[in-house]
Amino acid sequence: MKRFAIAILSLTLTGIPAVARAMDLPFNGYLNYSMGARLVDDPTAPDDFLLNETRFQLDIIHDADAASMEFRADFVNDRVLGNTYIDIREAYVQLTPTDSIDLKVGTQIFTWGTGDFVFLNDLFPKDWQSYFIGRADEYLKKPADGIRATWYGDSLNLDLVWMPVFQPDAYISGERISYWGGTGKTGPANGPINPVEPDRTMGNSQWAARLYGTFGGVESALYAYRGNYGTPKGFDTVLARPFFPRLEAWGASAQSAIFGGIGNAEVAWYNSLDDTGPNDFLPNSEVRGLLGFSHDIARDQTLGVQAYLEHADDFPDVARTDQDRWWVTLRYTGLFMQQNLILSWFSFYSPNEKDFFLRPKATYKVSDEVTATMGGNIFLGKDDNTFFGQFDDNTNVYASLEYSF
Amino acid sequence: MKKTLIAAVLTVLFMVPATYSFALSVDQIVEKANIASYYGGDNGMAKVHMVITDRRGRTREREFTILRKDVKDGGDQLYYVYFHKPGDVRKLVFMVHKHVGKNDDRWLYLPALDLVKRIAASDKRTSFVGSNFLYEDVSGRSTKADTHTLKEETGDHWILDNIPRDPASVEFTHYLIWIDKKTYLVDKAEYYNAQGKVYRKMVAEEVKVIDGIPTVVKSRVEDLNSGGKTELTFSNIKYNIGIKDSIFTERYLRKPPRKFIRR
Repeated sequence: MKRFAIAILSLTLTGIPAVARAMDLPFNGYLNYSMGARLVDDPTAPDDFLLNETRFQLDIIHDADAASMEFRADFVNDRVLGNTYIDIREAYVQLTPTDSIDLKVGTQIFTWGTGDFVFLNDLFPKDWQSYFIGRADEYLKKPADGIRATWYGDSLNLDLVWMPVFQPDAYISGERISYWGGTGKTGPANGPINPVEPDRTMGNSQWAARLYGTFGGVESALYAYRGNYGTPKGFDTVLARPFFPRLEAWGASAQSAIFGGIGNAEVAWYNSLDDTGPNDFLPNSEVRGLLGFSHDIARDQTLGVQAYLEHADDFPDVARTDQDRWWVTLRYTGLFMQQNLILSWFSFYSPNEKDFFLRPKATYKVSDEVTATMGGNIFLGKDDNTFFGQFDDNTNVYASLEYSF
Repeated sequence: MKKTLIAAVLTVLFMVPATYSFALSVDQIVEKANIASYYGGDNGMAKVHMVITDRRGRTREREFTILRKDVKDGGDQLYYVYFHKPGDVRKLVFMVHKHVGKNDDRWLYLPALDLVKRIAASDKRTSFVGSNFLYEDVSGRSTKADTHTLKEETGDHWILDNIPRDPASVEFTHYLIWIDKKTYLVDKAEYYNAQGKVYRKMVAEEVKVIDGIPTVVKSRVEDLNSGGKTELTFSNIKYNIGIKDSIFTERYLRKPPRKFIRR
């Protein structure tokens, strides 16, 4: 039986790409194997492996006169969790009902805002787990089911996103990565947390809007969001379970070419709707601000710097060690060997919380089909309870090999 | 009958500039060559097949569709590049608002992240998608970036010598271009290093008249230092197909225009 399964699998893996190429079908994808392990001992986790999985992605696109459709899914064999599942990345139909309106309906990735790995007005689902264990960057964005309607005017455009059912982040739950549980480290040995999800009612659907346009070369946008926090930041003392408090957010951003590089600025105000009085079990409202600049420093080499602040209305606050959270991020990207070798560095540093997170990565394109990647996620926070410091037992290195067709 | 008519039209078209050529100044030749090379029609598209070969003969291929619209002949332009191959860049869109006299605006759309990424673009002499072609080869080098002198005139060509006004911004000391007297297309370019040696060569290998516009359909660039070369083959070339300004906006980064690009 097992042999039969392997035979079918190998036939699928070798056969489909060959058939796709031969017939020139709009049919693509990749086969990826990734492995990553902790560099340090984590007393809360019996398994040192954070990543050990095979992904087979299939991408089918069809363009017709009236509409486009795409189905892109990963068939995953995850040997850390010991399961096999299908991860639907995109499954949507895109329509243009009138000249000035686009509609995209189905499972899709939503992204907006100007931050680089820092999110203010992008409150769409994220997969932090993937981000911290070394899956490709694209997996930080978690697909969501919803409708995106965009209206295009002469100088202003309006984006409206409706997600009928609440879709949480793939937050750090203790399933794989250990974290600060309030009094100590909590990890896989303690079992994942089990939050209460909002009821599936129309009243609990999530809305996001963006009004944007370019004025005098400055790409400007206003944002609004109404829904829930993507992570279970609240704690229900009656049920003794975490939950996802309601959230309303308003914001603005600007991005422009400046001083020979690209500059960006963004602000957001998070109104924690459930937090109506003093309460230690609910996140406080907060203001977020970001300033960023990126510039070429040499041929094919770019440096990006961001300064980011979260300021809570009140303190103490849920998951905070300080009323202010300052981050300075640094990104370096260098292309070498005819752009086949990509070296990148991304780091978060918090001067007031003495928190540090490094993401070095090297990608080499062996050929047009084969890509090899190596990298690390290094948590160097001074304290056990800061945003990155809590993950210090999960410092890991990873490698992956991908064949795309 | 039709063939003779086309031949007659072409003869007239090409004869006119040839007869007046004696009156042209070097700067006028350069302007005409710039327009012939990069501003054919008001807008146009082409599918490009690129083969990059390194000194050991290993090849990498790229396939993309380019849409172009001129804001003004000899001036600003809009470019939209959709990648079909290879797999790791498939569906990626690269958009350029080319400006003469200041930095271009460039965007990348990364479909898997639904991310529109504004990118810094201060250096136009970086490799285009890892090939031996540079951004400037693809979208044109400003005619004001060099001083041009007529080095030689042959029966078919004007051979111009071009010296950069800002030598620090480029890796060559000067370059020669062979401009075809009939089509004004650059048939050949040779770049010289500080030792006075040719280290980089560009050749238009095949020219076809498409919609009445002489067009390079095959070109090659060789890097004599590294031993690498890149060949471009253009197909499905169309001019004046009504590409609107709106194509070159965020809307079509997220939704490649089905009218021109079928995936």
